[in-house]
Amino acid sequence: MRISELPEIGTKYEIESPKGDKVAVIFLTTGEIELYVLESDADKPSVTRLTSEEARRLGSVLTGALLSIEQEDVEVSFSEISDLRIHIHLCPVTKNVVGKSIEDLAIRKKTGVTVVAISRKGQSIVSPPPKMVFEEGDLIVAVGKREQIKACQQEILGHG
Amino acid sequence: MNFLVDLAIVMVSCLALGLASKYLRQASIPAYIIAGIILGKSGLDLITSDASYDFISWLGKIGVILLMFYIGLEFNFKGIKEPRRLFAGCTDFAVNFSVGFLLGIVIGLSLIEAFILASAVYISSSAIVISSLIENKRLIYPEAETVVWLMVFEDIILAILLVVLTSIMAGSLAMIPVSLAATLLLIVFILALIRRLSNFIAPLFERDDEIPILLIFALIFGFSALAYLMGILLHCHISEVIVAFFLGSALSGVKSFRKLFGTIISFKNLFLTIFFFSFGMMFQFQFAALNSADFVLALLALIILSIVGKFVSGAIIGKRLHGSLETGLRVGAYTTPRGEFSVVLIMVVMEIGIPELLPSIELLLSLVVAYVIILSIVGSFFAKHGDKIGKAMMVVANKLIPQAHL
Repeated sequence: MRISELPEIGTKYEIESPKGDKVAVIFLTTGEIELYVLESDADKPSVTRLTSEEARRLGSVLTGALLSIEQEDVEVSFSEISDLRIHIHLCPVTKNVVGKSIEDLAIRKKTGVTVVAISRKGQSIVSPPPKMVFEEGDLIVAVGKREQIKACQQEILGHG
Repeated sequence: MNFLVDLAIVMVSCLALGLASKYLRQASIPAYIIAGIILGKSGLDLITSDASYDFISWLGKIGVILLMFYIGLEFNFKGIKEPRRLFAGCTDFAVNFSVGFLLGIVIGLSLIEAFILASAVYISSSAIVISSLIENKRLIYPEAETVVWLMVFEDIILAILLVVLTSIMAGSLAMIPVSLAATLLLIVFILALIRRLSNFIAPLFERDDEIPILLIFALIFGFSALAYLMGILLHCHISEVIVAFFLGSALSGVKSFRKLFGTIISFKNLFLTIFFFSFGMMFQFQFAALNSADFVLALLALIILSIVGKFVSGAIIGKRLHGSLETGLRVGAYTTPRGEFSVVLIMVVMEIGIPELLPSIELLLSLVVAYVIILSIVGSFFAKHGDKIGKAMMVVANKLIPQAHL
């Protein structure tokens, strides 16, 4: 990896593959990010311009943090710990749980699933306290193994 | 009322021609100068009063000060000291300054005028060169870095050239060292003062209200005024654009300042556009001169030789830094555009110039204006097609000297 400063333009990070293909990422002073790909035998590079948000997403794909994305279910794994697979699941509350707290439902005790966040009226509550009571319209962000998530959905939320 | 009408004329015409130039994918600098020429003294003469002329020129002057301030902010003293970059910068200067100077002498300018012409011809347009590198997707190539650092090197040479030129205009030979010493003293004073006060002013720049921008303009105009007053006291000139440059470089060391870059760029862009207009507007273009064969010949020679100059310096730099002649020819093509700095140089000279030292100022001025307009347009074309031009020149070179294996 080669890092070089381009005054008035930004900073360039460049990497060359053994085949001679080049990839460069340029952080422009405007805050946008340009991604260059130049194949070794190509005349012209392909270039795309990303917002910092898009670049962050792309970055997490490249680091392997996001392996598979199903609809509302994200599986996270880390390149350093290959046997670890964590499912993050997003599920809306059901009639079964409205008015009850995380503690009442004993979600962790019964299924092993941890509620890491609740999204309420567009605002997220990260690491909600166990006494927090679910309201209608809440979205629950839960973490666990695939089987645990499944158990949680069936036993606690009452899905089929 | 007149001011409003005149300002409307400036803004609307700049907007129209600016838009047209963007639409045609051309550099916008010549568009604004041409707008000024068309509407100003040598054209339709639409600006209604002398007061308006003065007002517009003043706004333009702020643009020049802000441009130099911004260049100072971006200037990187540490990076430029690297030997490869120094070699590239010195080669660029040696070749292209000599071309302008020699031609100036040949067409009968005085030594000082030839020096001014050489300065204007040597210096590329950072604005056009850098936006062309980004737009034409060259940033991945190693020569892009070389070109960008060449622009940085040219900035410091510009500052030196401006100091030298304003000192020469001190009036008498004896005054030159006085003027030079006063300028250097003021620069050292600014750098030391800002460093001293940085703990005090840094929090002010972090505020979200109007204080940061007021502080910037207070510093810029405060030091410019100081330069002016010192000049009057010592009967010499201390250029406020130099002061702005070093003030910028001093402030770039203040941590919280980065946040304000966007604001400064907006102000700079607005006032610099007015500057290009005012430059075209004030300029008494002698169309008669265009009919004179000598003028056209001199202009043509200047254009061709200065383009060749950039290719020669580019080739030397490319061979030495990248081990490739073709890369060097691309460097030459990318650095062909001339623009804002040539105009700024000539404006500074015009303002403080002493008539006895500049016997052929009219010729010099017409030459540089026509030169900048043409080279900003032709140069943009060269920069855009630099890769093809480099390749084509290699083909020709290899045909001419088949055994050379360039």
